[in-house]
Amino acid sequence: MVEKTSLGKIEVSPTAIASLASRAVLESYGVVGMSSRSLGSGLAELLRGESHKRGVEVRLEGNEVIIDLYVIIEYGTRIAAVAQNIMSNVKFAVEKSLGVPIAEVNVHVRGLRVSSKD
Amino acid sequence: MADETAQKAGKQGTDHPILSCDGQELKRLLEAGTAWLERHKDAINSLNVYPVPDGDTGTNMLLTMQAALEEMANASDHSASAVAHAAAHGALMGARGNSGVILSQILRGIARSLDRKGAFNASDFAAALKEATVTAYKGVIKPVEGTILTVVREATEAAVTAAAEEEDLRLVLEKVVDEARESVARTPSLLPVLAEAGVVDAGGQGLFIILEGMLRYLRGETVEVALALETAVDLHVPGEGEYGYDVQFIIHGQDLNLEEIRNTIAAMGESTLVVGDSTTIKVHIHTREPGTPLNYGASIGSLSKITVENMQEQYQEFIRSQAQPARPPSAVSLEEICGIATVVVAQGPGLTRLFESLGASAVVPGGQTMNPSTEELLKAAEAFKTDQVIILPNNANIILAAQQAQKLSEKNIRVVPTKTIPQGVSALLAFNYQADLETNARVMEQAAEEVQTVEITVATRSVQLNKVNVKEGEVIGLLNDTLVASGRSPEQVVRDVFRQMKAEDYEIITIYYGEGVTQEEAQALAARISQDYPEQEIELVHGGQPHYLYIISVE
Repeated sequence: MVEKTSLGKIEVSPTAIASLASRAVLESYGVVGMSSRSLGSGLAELLRGESHKRGVEVRLEGNEVIIDLYVIIEYGTRIAAVAQNIMSNVKFAVEKSLGVPIAEVNVHVRGLRVSSKD
Repeated sequence: MADETAQKAGKQGTDHPILSCDGQELKRLLEAGTAWLERHKDAINSLNVYPVPDGDTGTNMLLTMQAALEEMANASDHSASAVAHAAAHGALMGARGNSGVILSQILRGIARSLDRKGAFNASDFAAALKEATVTAYKGVIKPVEGTILTVVREATEAAVTAAAEEEDLRLVLEKVVDEARESVARTPSLLPVLAEAGVVDAGGQGLFIILEGMLRYLRGETVEVALALETAVDLHVPGEGEYGYDVQFIIHGQDLNLEEIRNTIAAMGESTLVVGDSTTIKVHIHTREPGTPLNYGASIGSLSKITVENMQEQYQEFIRSQAQPARPPSAVSLEEICGIATVVVAQGPGLTRLFESLGASAVVPGGQTMNPSTEELLKAAEAFKTDQVIILPNNANIILAAQQAQKLSEKNIRVVPTKTIPQGVSALLAFNYQADLETNARVMEQAAEEVQTVEITVATRSVQLNKVNVKEGEVIGLLNDTLVASGRSPEQVVRDVFRQMKAEDYEIITIYYGEGVTQEEAQALAARISQDYPEQEIELVHGGQPHYLYIISVE
C-alpha cells in the first residue's frame, strides 16, 4: 500500500495492516482466539501473543486492501452476530488508522471454544 | 388496568422488604428493564462511538432484549430457572451488535446461576450477577475497560457487598443501580475514545438503564412502565423516516480536503464516518435526506461504490423475520448470509448443539443405529428458502439416502460424503460464507479427509475381523470405520488404537463422549490420554450420542 506525497512516498506493509487488524479482532467481543490459516481444519488451535498475526491475512489487490481473519469464537454466542461485529470493528479500526478504505473483511470461523457448559 | 398493576405491585409496596422473586417476577423485571430501555434507546444510540460509531447500540440492545422477552413467553414453567433460560436462549438467537452479544452472555450467565431455582433471593441475585460477569468476560481475549463489561463487573461487586448485609432485593438492586450509574460516569476515564467524543459508553449506559427499569418495577413505579409493557411484546414500529437512510460512497478526486469534507458531511446527518486521503475518501452517514451528501460528494469529485439503504426497511424486515413463528432450530442461519443451507445428520443433544452452533442450518436426527430416510433428508432440504443445500450424512450408511435425496430434489443439492461425526465437524468448519456451492462442497470434502476418526463401542456379537478377535460384549475400537482393536475397557481400547495410528504425530484430539458415559469417566479418560500424549491438545466435548461410548477426532 503506497501513498505518494509531495515529500516522498509512504508505504504501509501488509504486516502493519495485519497488526492493526489483529488488535481490533482481539478486542472484538465473542472472539476467544485466532487460528493459524495454514492449518487444514484448525478445530482448536488457539494462537497466543504475537502469533495472533498468523490468523490474519492481508492481501493487496491493485489498490484494494482485503483482509482475511481466521478466528475461534466462544461457544454459545450468536456466531453470525459476532462475525458481523468483527467485520465492522476491523474495517473501522483499520480505516481510521490507515485512512484508506478496506475493500473486504472476510471472517473465517475456524472453531469454537467451549469454556463452560450450560 | 391501573388497579391490576397496583395489585401486582402490591408486594412491592415501599414498606415491605422483598425477600424473593419467582419466575413470574423475573419476567416482569426484565419486561420493565426492556420498556425502560425502549424509552432511552435514541439517547443511547447517540452515545455510540466505540468500537464503531454507527449509532445503533440502543437499537441493538433493545432488539436483543425483545428477542429475550418473546422467548420468555415460551418458558416451560414459572420457575426463575425456566424463565431465565428462556430469556438467555431468546437473547442468544436475537443478539445484534457488540453490546447485544455481550448482553446475551450476561443473560446466559444469569440463567446458568439460577439453574433449577424456582425463585431467587438477594444472595442468589448477587451470585447470578457474578456468574454473568464471569461469562461475559470469558467471551473476549482483551476485555476493553470502560465498556458494558466494566459496568456489569462493578455493578456485580456492589451486589455482592450489598447482599452480604441486606436481604431486601429492592435495597440490593438500589445499590447495584447506583454503582452502575457511577460506573458508567467513569467510562470516559477508562476509554480515551469516549473522552475525546465527550460521551459515556453507550453499552454501559444501556445496561444501567435496564437495571434502573428493573428497580423502578420493584419500587412500584410501574404505572407508566406498565403501559409500555403491554406493547413491549409488540415490537415498536418506527414512524416514517425515523430511521432514515444509511448512505455510503467513496469520493475520488485530487487534493481533497479531508477535514473540510468531514465537517461538512458531519453537519448533514448522524453517525458519520469520513476517512481517506487527498485522493480517496470513504463516507458513511445516516441521514433522512440521502441526496444531500451525494450531491455534495459529486460536486467535489467523482463517486463510486454508492449504497443507499433504507434503515426503516431493514428494521421492518428484521421485525418480519422475528415475527415468523417457526424459526429453524439453529443458532446461526448460514443460509441467510450466503444462500447455502447445510443439513447435518447427528444424534445426541451435545452433538446436535455443537453442529447448530457451528452454523448447521438443520440437524436431522440419525446415526449408526437409526438411519434417517431419504424422505426425512429431502424434507429438511426442501424446508429452506434457498435453492442451494449441502448435506453432511456423517455416516457411511446414510450417504446413499442423502444421494437419493439429491436426485429427487429440484434444488441444487451437494452431498459431502462424510462418514463420521469428526469428518462432519471438519467439513462444516471449512464452510466458507463467501464461496459458492461447488467450491464449498469441494473444500469441505477435502477437510473431511484430513481428520482421523476413532470410534469406541461395544460389540453386539462375537466376530473375527481384520485379525481382531472380538467376543460379544467386549469394547471395540474402530479407526476410520475399520475394526482395529478390542478389549475389556474403553481406556485400554482407546490407547491401543492411538498406538496403532501414532497419535503423537497429530496435534489435536477431540473426545465426544456418549450418552452412557459420565462426565467423570470421560474426564478420567482425557486425563489418561493427556499423560500419554503431553504434546497434544486434548478437548472434551459432551456429545450425548447413543451407541458410541466415545467418538474421537484426531487431526
